[in-house]
Amino acid sequence: MRDAGIEFREVWKKYRRGEMHDSLRDLVPALVRRAVRLQPSADVLQAGDFWALRDVSFTVVPGQTLGIIGANGAGKSTVLKALTKIIRPTRGSCSVRGRIGALIEVAAGFHPDLTGRENVFLQGAIMGMSAAQTRAKFDQIVEFAGVGEFIDTPVKRYSSGMSARLGFSIAAHLDPDVLVIDEILSVGDFTFQERAFGRIRSLARSGMPVVLVSHQLDRVAELCTEALLIERGRVACQGSPDDCIGMYLSGGTAGDGTRDASVTGEPVALHTLHLRESSPVRSGDVIGLRVSGTVADALLPGTLEPVSFSVRSAATGHVVFASSSACCGIDLNGAGRFTLELELQMNVPAGVYVVETSVGDQLHGRGARGGPAVNVCVTDGTGFVGVAQLNPVMRLAEVRLPASAWGPPTA
Amino acid sequence: MAVSDRSIPTLDSSGDAQSADRPSITRDLAEAARDIVQSRGLLYQLALRDVRIRYKQAVMGFGWAVFMPVVIVLAGCLVRVALVRGAGGAVDRLTLAALAVKALPWAFVVGAVGFATPSLTNNMNLLSKVYFPREVLPLAALLAQTFDTVVGATVVAVLLLALGVVHLAALVWMPILTLLLFTLTAAACLFLSCANLFFRDVKYIVQVAITFSIFFTPVLFEPSLLGPSGARLVMLNPIAPLLEGLRLSVVQGHNLLAPLAAHPATAGGAPVIEWAPWWLAYSACWAVGALLVSVLIFHRSESIFADYV
Repeated sequence: MRDAGIEFREVWKKYRRGEMHDSLRDLVPALVRRAVRLQPSADVLQAGDFWALRDVSFTVVPGQTLGIIGANGAGKSTVLKALTKIIRPTRGSCSVRGRIGALIEVAAGFHPDLTGRENVFLQGAIMGMSAAQTRAKFDQIVEFAGVGEFIDTPVKRYSSGMSARLGFSIAAHLDPDVLVIDEILSVGDFTFQERAFGRIRSLARSGMPVVLVSHQLDRVAELCTEALLIERGRVACQGSPDDCIGMYLSGGTAGDGTRDASVTGEPVALHTLHLRESSPVRSGDVIGLRVSGTVADALLPGTLEPVSFSVRSAATGHVVFASSSACCGIDLNGAGRFTLELELQMNVPAGVYVVETSVGDQLHGRGARGGPAVNVCVTDGTGFVGVAQLNPVMRLAEVRLPASAWGPPTA
Repeated sequence: MAVSDRSIPTLDSSGDAQSADRPSITRDLAEAARDIVQSRGLLYQLALRDVRIRYKQAVMGFGWAVFMPVVIVLAGCLVRVALVRGAGGAVDRLTLAALAVKALPWAFVVGAVGFATPSLTNNMNLLSKVYFPREVLPLAALLAQTFDTVVGATVVAVLLLALGVVHLAALVWMPILTLLLFTLTAAACLFLSCANLFFRDVKYIVQVAITFSIFFTPVLFEPSLLGPSGARLVMLNPIAPLLEGLRLSVVQGHNLLAPLAAHPATAGGAPVIEWAPWWLAYSACWAVGALLVSVLIFHRSESIFADYV
């Protein structure tokens, strides 16, 4: 479908905190009110209400893959539920053009007493496939899930991975116009995850609009063309996946990735952090950073690492490197105002990295307090693949080829 | 405190913008009907699931479909025998046929309402994860019960043949009465499942109501036993004319367009009206009206199911 797409316009969703105390006494008035739509104004927050989504807008057109990231409870799944019409927004509108395929809780419709075969038809129908369509795709579904010999066994005898694989496989064979995926890339074992990811990637590359919610940031970075960072129901960042992931990892504030959270009130205060190069840099390049701060009093002898820094991969969230002023042989005792210059060779694969500074012993996690941070985008430079640059040195020491391989052609 | 209505358009999530302002009953009903027709494949699969899981790992299998009506017939025989001892008369083959003819539809109503009422809350994980027209869940429970009833009906048909109770009027009236009963039950299923989603105590009330409603419904007795005013009162129950109509047409071969009066055994007593044609119209009004109202309520509250479940 050429004009398939998603439009999410200024969506607000109200939920209630705590339990709803409804008793039967309220039944008739409530149903009547609902039937004639005399609900209280949707825009008023009553006691105990809160906004699960506040003014969220985005569009996804063919060719775009939107990744939604954010902490647990930020509102990511609420966005997907509004998209799939499970919930109705309190305000605003969301419209989806084309048939929507939702990979959300892919085994939700499974009944444990039914066999795999019966469940495929049931789950297919729940997801909107006709029995004829399911029958046509049945062999593909079973083969993709890899449960062939157990297809006539009740699902309650399946391992959890098997039923999840079967569920994913059904959903992956839906042929939708728009695809919505919620945190299901972690289904099954490694091989299946790769296969599932490959399937989604091929669908996304074919131009189908995709919305993906995931905590696997490297997957988001790899698959998505756009990203949306949601914090407590609000859009905190909207743009390239690298920017959103970087902000998510650095705790999220300023748009350019520089966090000016200066640390004060300590013997050591950090004020600013500047990146000399303009991002992006190439893999293997050297970047320069300037950190300025103050040492208020003479430091206690126990303060081993007054200023430390770390480089965190935005894709995985892992710290790829960390060090400190003491490790670099700098004594800040009684320095007053100071500026540190730091050079780092970015021997890392392409991606977004967050350089974070902190006061205290970050290496050993003792009393570390976060200081300014900056995002560095690294592009593919030396074409290195993997997680670490091992500086390979390779020499051709000896060549001994079998004579038959290179010998003169026999007449 | 309130934000003005003008600044915030309350649009439908489906995208048709003109809908929210003026709710139109006909449009909502048409929408609900279209949803149900479009998801008939899902309805079939869900009904199939309900039927399958009812008989999987069950020793008696399809025997259960016959079991419930048989129990009701036996209970009815017991009541009859007790009545005969007190007031005279006899338990003959017609009484047995009448009991069977009324027990089966009653078991259908009881079973369908019992299964459909918790159908939405039992499928909570589906409601909050996948979108589909929610009407299919109670309707699938209804269809699964219908399947049981069809199995039971073949047994009743065999019984009627064996008792030699065969009337042409049955062929005319039975489909009409069955359809009305089905409609009425569908309405109850939709309304009660929806109500149970918002108020979980509905499920318990339904259980109690099912248990005691057999006293207010002429299943084990004929309304004429209650005397002239009692008969009229019990016929206010919309199911009563349908059950009585089934008994009169199938067992007695009575044409339901004609009234029927029974003369009491004691001389001089007022005649008891056993059947009046407008009773059928009364039940039909109930069935159609209840279905329209419950579909409307269900369809309009559907969009907030996931918030409340």
